[in-house]
Amino acid sequence: MFVKPFRYQRAESLADACAMLRDAGGGAKAIAGGQSLLPMMNLGLLDLDAVVDVGHVEGIRGVTRDGGYLSIGALTRHADLERDAAVRAGQPLVSEAVRWIGSSRIRSRGTLGGSLAHSDPAAELPLAMIVAGAEYDLTDGSATRSVKATDFHQGFFTTDLAEDELLERVRVPVLGPGWGWGFAEVSRRRGDFALVAAAALARVAEGRVIEARLGLCGVADRPIRLGAVEIAVEGATADELDARVGPIEGIEPASDTNASADHRRHLARVLAIRALTDAVRRGGSA
Amino acid sequence: MNAETSDISVTLTVNGTPITKTAGGHLSLLRWLRDVADVTDPKYGCGEGVCGACTVLVDGEPTSSCIVLAAQVNGAAITTAAGLCEPDGSLGLLQQRFHEHHAAQCGFCTPGMLLCARAMLRDNEGSEPLSRGDIREQLHGNLCRCTGYSPIVDAIEDAQSQGIVR
Repeated sequence: MFVKPFRYQRAESLADACAMLRDAGGGAKAIAGGQSLLPMMNLGLLDLDAVVDVGHVEGIRGVTRDGGYLSIGALTRHADLERDAAVRAGQPLVSEAVRWIGSSRIRSRGTLGGSLAHSDPAAELPLAMIVAGAEYDLTDGSATRSVKATDFHQGFFTTDLAEDELLERVRVPVLGPGWGWGFAEVSRRRGDFALVAAAALARVAEGRVIEARLGLCGVADRPIRLGAVEIAVEGATADELDARVGPIEGIEPASDTNASADHRRHLARVLAIRALTDAVRRGGSA
Repeated sequence: MNAETSDISVTLTVNGTPITKTAGGHLSLLRWLRDVADVTDPKYGCGEGVCGACTVLVDGEPTSSCIVLAAQVNGAAITTAAGLCEPDGSLGLLQQRFHEHHAAQCGFCTPGMLLCARAMLRDNEGSEPLSRGDIREQLHGNLCRCTGYSPIVDAIEDAQSQGIVR
């Protein structure tokens, strides 16, 4: 609670913020909602010379439908994302994932860009983004580059962002006809970090999976796609999923005070099947 | 860098009264309110935004004041539990329901519970009444360690049935 004093700098534009981050030479971090950064600082896990407040930058809050994509500004708050009709219609997996984040207080201040840039390996939004096939626009104040969500999340709280770069916008492909979605999570208490969560999309025809996308968070140093399971469930009906999905390979869940690695491994398979089942049941009707 | 060089001026309208103070830019809204502005009804519980004791409304939105900087919300209207009182300082209608149902034991979680209740009743105005389950769901971010949840839910349910939103 009694954090070491640091400088507060308010940025009026992204270029402004990038310049402030560059000048601080690694001693500063951007703050938007601050719902992860400030708890970490209060707990003494992070010691900064300055925070650069990007929360007042204009033009990067809200959702627009841009052809086959949802274009979502990095400062869009979780609560806005949760209620947004275009997101619910275009990629309901994102609307559902947001509902699992923390409490209503956290959702009313936390931002999409903040959660993605923080890249907690148990966080819901990075998981939803890798499964949805999202791309992020990053800026250093002058040039903008685009990176796939799967390439952006690189490890524990580690991303592709350079020290003076900021996440500006997220582009999420709109779900096509025949696709269904599913999201399943287990945490110790409502609003806690996920022990494990699973997100699934499935394109379904005549009750059978044509194509599936499946990912997990909480089982590795980043959210991961399960390519082998995606292939294994092709052609399956909802009732056949359990038989098609074997033990989940390629995950390295941790043991801690909340759950053992074995329990997380168990949850990984159970939740993957639950998310896939919902996706298959919801798919095929459009 | 030392603390003095990071001081900044922040103006917040707290329960209708504008307050301007110059203090460290690193101060959380909770510390600014309690230690700088002497507004002590928001409580310091966990410091990580988990327990809800420090809840205030920032421009009407429930917020954990321990994990937002005062500087971030410069210019905002803040409502604390005291802001739910009547103009003469007597208990407001929602506070009275809490009193009648004995919805406070040690009282430490009460300011946060009141503001959370205020926000949920306001946001649900004009919709189907909240069930007890809905109320409990919306209170999940506010911890009471005296195990007083049932009377708290009773008080909110009673307030709702009487059309009280503040």
